[in-house]
Amino acid sequence: MGSLNIRDVLTAFSPSLDYFAISSGDGRIKIWDTLKGQIQTEFADIVSSEATNIYAKAERGHLSIDYKCMKWLSFDKKKKRKLGSSLLILGTGSGDVLALDVSAGQLKWKVSDCHPGGVSAIAFATNGSCIYSSGADGMICKIDSLTGNLLGKFRASTKSISCMAVSCDGKTLVRAAGQLKSFDCSNHKKIQKFTGHPGSVRCMIFTEDGKFILSSAAAERYIAVWRTDGGKKQSASCVLAMEHPAVFVDSKCVNGDIYVLAISETGVCYFWYGQDVEALCNAKPTKLSISLEDGLSKPHKGALPKIFAAKLQGVAKQASVHAFLAHGLLVKPLFQKMVVQYGADMLLSSSQDGVLLPRSQSLNKSKKGLDSQNRVIALDRANAEDAALPIPKIFYLHEEKEDRHRSLSVGTDDVMTDSIDHGSQPKFVDGKDASIKLDADSKALCMEDQLRSLGILDTCNSDSIVFDGINLEANLPPKKMRAAISSMEPGDAHKLLEDLVKLWQSRSCSGKYVLPWIYSLLLTHGHLMSQESITQMLNSLLKNTKSRGLALQPLLQLSGRLQLVTTQIDKAAQSRSQYSTSDHKMDESEDDDDDDDDDDDVDDVLYGEEDESQISSDDDN
Amino acid sequence: MMRGGRSLVSSPPAFSNDAKKLLVCTSNTVSVFSTVTGLLITSLEGHTALVTSVIVVPPSNPAAKVLCYCWTASLDGTIRYWDFSLPELMKTIDIRMPIFSMVIPSFLDVPAEENGKHQDLFAYVSIEDAKETQERTKASRRQIRKCNLSKSRLVGRLILGETRKPEVLTVSPSGKFFGIRNKCKLHIWKVLDQGSERAAVRKITLHHTKKITVIAFHPTQRIIAAGDVTGRILTWRGFGNRAFAASNGVADQKLINVQEDKPGVRDNDDADSCSTWHWHSAEVNVLSFSSDGSYLYSGGKEGVLVVWQLDTGKKKFLPRIGSPLLYFIDSPDPTLSSISCADNQIHLLKMPSMGILKTISGIKAPCCYPDMYEGLGNGIAFDQTAGIVAVRTENYCIQFYSLFDDRGVSEVIVTSVALSIDGSLMSTSEVKLAEEGIGGLVCLKFWDAGSQNKEFSLSTIVYEPHRDAGISAVKFHPSGNMVVSSSFGGDFKVWKCNHDVIQNDQMRQNFSWTCHAVGSYKKKPMTAAAFSADGSVLAVAAETLITLWNPYKNVLLAVLGETLTPIVNLSFVGKSDNLVAASCGSNPQLSVWNMSKLSLSWSYKLHIEAVASAVDLSSFAALVLLPESSKKTTFKGMDGVILLFNATDPVPTVIWSVRKAKGGALCFVQVSPSSVEEISIDGKAPEVLLAYMNGDHEYVLFDPYCKDAREVSVSQKEGLAAHDHKGQAGQYGYASIYGELPEFDRKRPEAPWVPSFPSDRPWETIFSGSSHNLPPLTKLCSAFLESLLEKRTAAAE
Repeated sequence: MGSLNIRDVLTAFSPSLDYFAISSGDGRIKIWDTLKGQIQTEFADIVSSEATNIYAKAERGHLSIDYKCMKWLSFDKKKKRKLGSSLLILGTGSGDVLALDVSAGQLKWKVSDCHPGGVSAIAFATNGSCIYSSGADGMICKIDSLTGNLLGKFRASTKSISCMAVSCDGKTLVRAAGQLKSFDCSNHKKIQKFTGHPGSVRCMIFTEDGKFILSSAAAERYIAVWRTDGGKKQSASCVLAMEHPAVFVDSKCVNGDIYVLAISETGVCYFWYGQDVEALCNAKPTKLSISLEDGLSKPHKGALPKIFAAKLQGVAKQASVHAFLAHGLLVKPLFQKMVVQYGADMLLSSSQDGVLLPRSQSLNKSKKGLDSQNRVIALDRANAEDAALPIPKIFYLHEEKEDRHRSLSVGTDDVMTDSIDHGSQPKFVDGKDASIKLDADSKALCMEDQLRSLGILDTCNSDSIVFDGINLEANLPPKKMRAAISSMEPGDAHKLLEDLVKLWQSRSCSGKYVLPWIYSLLLTHGHLMSQESITQMLNSLLKNTKSRGLALQPLLQLSGRLQLVTTQIDKAAQSRSQYSTSDHKMDESEDDDDDDDDDDDVDDVLYGEEDESQISSDDDN
Repeated sequence: MMRGGRSLVSSPPAFSNDAKKLLVCTSNTVSVFSTVTGLLITSLEGHTALVTSVIVVPPSNPAAKVLCYCWTASLDGTIRYWDFSLPELMKTIDIRMPIFSMVIPSFLDVPAEENGKHQDLFAYVSIEDAKETQERTKASRRQIRKCNLSKSRLVGRLILGETRKPEVLTVSPSGKFFGIRNKCKLHIWKVLDQGSERAAVRKITLHHTKKITVIAFHPTQRIIAAGDVTGRILTWRGFGNRAFAASNGVADQKLINVQEDKPGVRDNDDADSCSTWHWHSAEVNVLSFSSDGSYLYSGGKEGVLVVWQLDTGKKKFLPRIGSPLLYFIDSPDPTLSSISCADNQIHLLKMPSMGILKTISGIKAPCCYPDMYEGLGNGIAFDQTAGIVAVRTENYCIQFYSLFDDRGVSEVIVTSVALSIDGSLMSTSEVKLAEEGIGGLVCLKFWDAGSQNKEFSLSTIVYEPHRDAGISAVKFHPSGNMVVSSSFGGDFKVWKCNHDVIQNDQMRQNFSWTCHAVGSYKKKPMTAAAFSADGSVLAVAAETLITLWNPYKNVLLAVLGETLTPIVNLSFVGKSDNLVAASCGSNPQLSVWNMSKLSLSWSYKLHIEAVASAVDLSSFAALVLLPESSKKTTFKGMDGVILLFNATDPVPTVIWSVRKAKGGALCFVQVSPSSVEEISIDGKAPEVLLAYMNGDHEYVLFDPYCKDAREVSVSQKEGLAAHDHKGQAGQYGYASIYGELPEFDRKRPEAPWVPSFPSDRPWETIFSGSSHNLPPLTKLCSAFLESLLEKRTAAAE
């Protein structure tokens, strides 16, 4: 097996490309399933079903049969998929032609001693009604493909015929014996003569449109292209150069574009594309080969992975084709459907599956196996630590505080009005300041996180609500507060006041905590603060508190109503529990101050980002 | 149109007389396989329903061995006679009642036809008598009847037995007896030698304490073996000595002593002795005597074939078959036999050594999962470009199955599956069910294909991807390097593939997946997910709402809402700006949302099983389960319809009705270049094919846009003149006024499918038109009831 060259190997794809027959010189035919990549069956001694007794006597053994050529024929183009309507036609060195029904595993027919000296080629047209065979005796036989009856015979050459092809329409036949000669199939008249192939031709095909013949001979490092529509005598119209002699050639013609695929003796696939024959001749081949790096670098008793069969399936788009390849080692071919783009060389990877390797190799292999196992990455529960958290869609929250509810509700109104049945239950937006500090570390869509991620709350501000040793949230008794404030420098107090006012206005901190501080600041340091900036600030503070004081009454009403409604909703639907209820409880504890801190709690209403409705948009004005 | 994915193991197969062919019942056809190569040779096509029995005519003399004739019986109520070498239909006998099983005991008694004297050939059939429902109870509708095959009719009122369930008839190899099992009893009939038509057949009954699952007759002696649900094998020897002997008229003067010792025989059963073997731990499904009668083969759930030496009880085993055994068939060739397995494989065995020679395998049967773990869909994923489907199988594998070639490709082990568009990447999720609250585990695994697209290797495994919550959907981004997984636990995660090439002595690509983003919407369970065709929008269903996200930046773009019940399936319609959502539950809904307007464009109240949309088309197909009520009256066993919609138009362009839609799947498959020629109709190759796979994993591929009736299994109805579309409000003229009539709107378009319908359907036209000029209710009622009555009679004939 090691010394096998692919030029001695016979290969054939089934018409629908789902099976692949290969015969490697020992008289056995292996049928591979191209989908699974497994061997389907093997024919060693083929015996006929009907005449079992006749052939059973002639126990010749498979080694005595040498197959010379193999083709897979389909009768019916429509029913390609059915394997039953196809035959594997074989020609032997002893001159017999056999037809094998692959699905039944039986010899369908056999023509004995058809060509004394050996069959050299088998060819048929697309419709497959009859088969032509040629042999060393220079004759060409026409055989009925269904029954195996000899329909006709004529002498096409005085010398032995090395190759033969039939055009797709079945009208023209070309044979190679020293030179190429084409015949009319119906009356066996000579049509043309092509000179230029001195050696024995190894592969030869007609293009699909029948306008060209492609041929390649042994020891010639090119594929010759011959024109069939020219004069009586022709020489090659162009040649496609290769680095090694070709063993197989296939072509497709679509809209006048010509695609040619060839495989060289060394197992490299060449692909040419041209819009016409002139362009084709100047085309540089695209090469498909097996990469040797990832396999064993030195040849393994001569068994290098190679491409040994190919078939052009169809044209994907201009200059690229679907090709079906069989490659790897002969003992375990791999099958691959691929798109070959003209101009882009490709390297196929090979695998060592199914090969019995010597010990050093197998060690290497096991290490490789380990490697690939190590490469599995396992993630545990904490798989989402680095993941991006959702960026919520919040509309203009910090730039336009006044407008935010309107814009918010507009933003959601788009959704709401279009949604199918929102009408029955209005949704309420409720503050969630009770939950806002709870689960910063959970992945909840909590408001604080969102604000922080948007930069509305800058981190230093929100992380530590501690100014100069004052913990705002500590809920100190008024005495301690006053003591802390009176111990401050006026400058610090001024700065603190500024910060607190800003905090309050930006609503990033609850008024419950801020306002007592402001109150006591003003109380303690009020006399010192006579600068302009301060008065300005205080003015705005006054205005702000007044406006809030005005809004207090309707807000309280609203809060009561909201509470009523939310309790109703809570009762009505469990699902509504998502929205935390509003938290408008008033704290009377610090009511001893002037007008500005009664209303503080109302401002703490924060809004869920999606579910605003008209009611909530009213409440800020 | 291409069909495939048929079950090979629905009924026992049969060998041809030369043992070179194996005849397998595959849904509506009988497939003939070669035993030498394991490849399909031909198929017998003609039955219109499931073929339940195939019987090869045995040769009457050695020369006739090459003859290839067989009888088949089917649920369509016909018995057919074939020459399967050609193949050619020779004869059809229509008995108009579904046949569950058929045996022909008396082949041997029938002289060859050239003998001049023509003998009738009799078959015994197990049928369901659908006609006599009125006067009979349902229990007695399944009957065993005798059928004269030569005269093509049932033998007059002769009913041999009635059973509660359709039972499989078993015939003895000698052709003298046949029997059925009936719960804990065996009924055995003796076939009288000369098959005169009226000859009464005698019956005996043997009793057992457990439910009997399978029976087998000894080829030469009066021995019958039966397997039961507990795994015991009982062997009765000398059954029927009393009853059958007396009937022969051969005066059996020594009328057996009643006192005679009959070891093991229960009650007063007519048998000499009964012995029990017990090896199987679960029920016995396979029981067969070898052709010389010295061995008994048994098999069952364990997937082990046991050979018992009949005299000594010594055992031999063929283990590791890997799946429960269903049938064991001996061939005329003593060195060959076959076993059928529940995983849709038929193994051909080389006999004395019991080695597996060849395997004929089909698509794996669907598997049932515990109810507690639902929501994973049906576990069918399609590779659109290559036409490969991945299905879950019983033993936690995934089978890759080529739709075009109707053959399996390869297998990987896991449970629920999603494939990327180009099929090179796969993601699976699996669940280890907790035992008593411990050990439950959810895993998400990412796989990448090897170079040959045949073997997948695991690249990343994520344990508990959503904490304890189960995964509701896994979908691939069109580019293939992103996956979204949504969970019932209220979040979804976007996983990204880090694709790095490691350069250690060889090029190897390494895929590792990490979590790219996490999102949630109000902590609602995420029930479905989908990427748009260009990958720029991710839609995740949060129960009844649809949230739209930017998958790269993880920004919530919009919220669409809401449906009546949780959404289970989301799909973008090709490149158009429409999104299809299917929700199930008490209030099922198919809704189409317009993404540019962010609004619902139309919806139907339909129970959707699957939705498929082609990558570059503006239409989509939906597989609809029909409600019980309409199934019975109009559809003749069809329980689903496939609707092809244009996304903008609520009127379906084409409707096909199908069987076994539960658990089905749909997909648009791109046409592969190798199969273009044979699908193409008048030279025009279709761009895309629609693949429908039913609950039993049978599938059909067809061109959805072809105008001439490339029907799915029934005719299609085009150009619905009377629209049944419910419109945006979900209101439908008649229903809005007179209340809900849910069946009618669906019945109407399908009406022409019932072939025997009266030509004028008054109520079809009555309902069309606007609601204000509807005819009065009195008129409607009478016409409607009339039409119903007509239909009933038509259906009964």
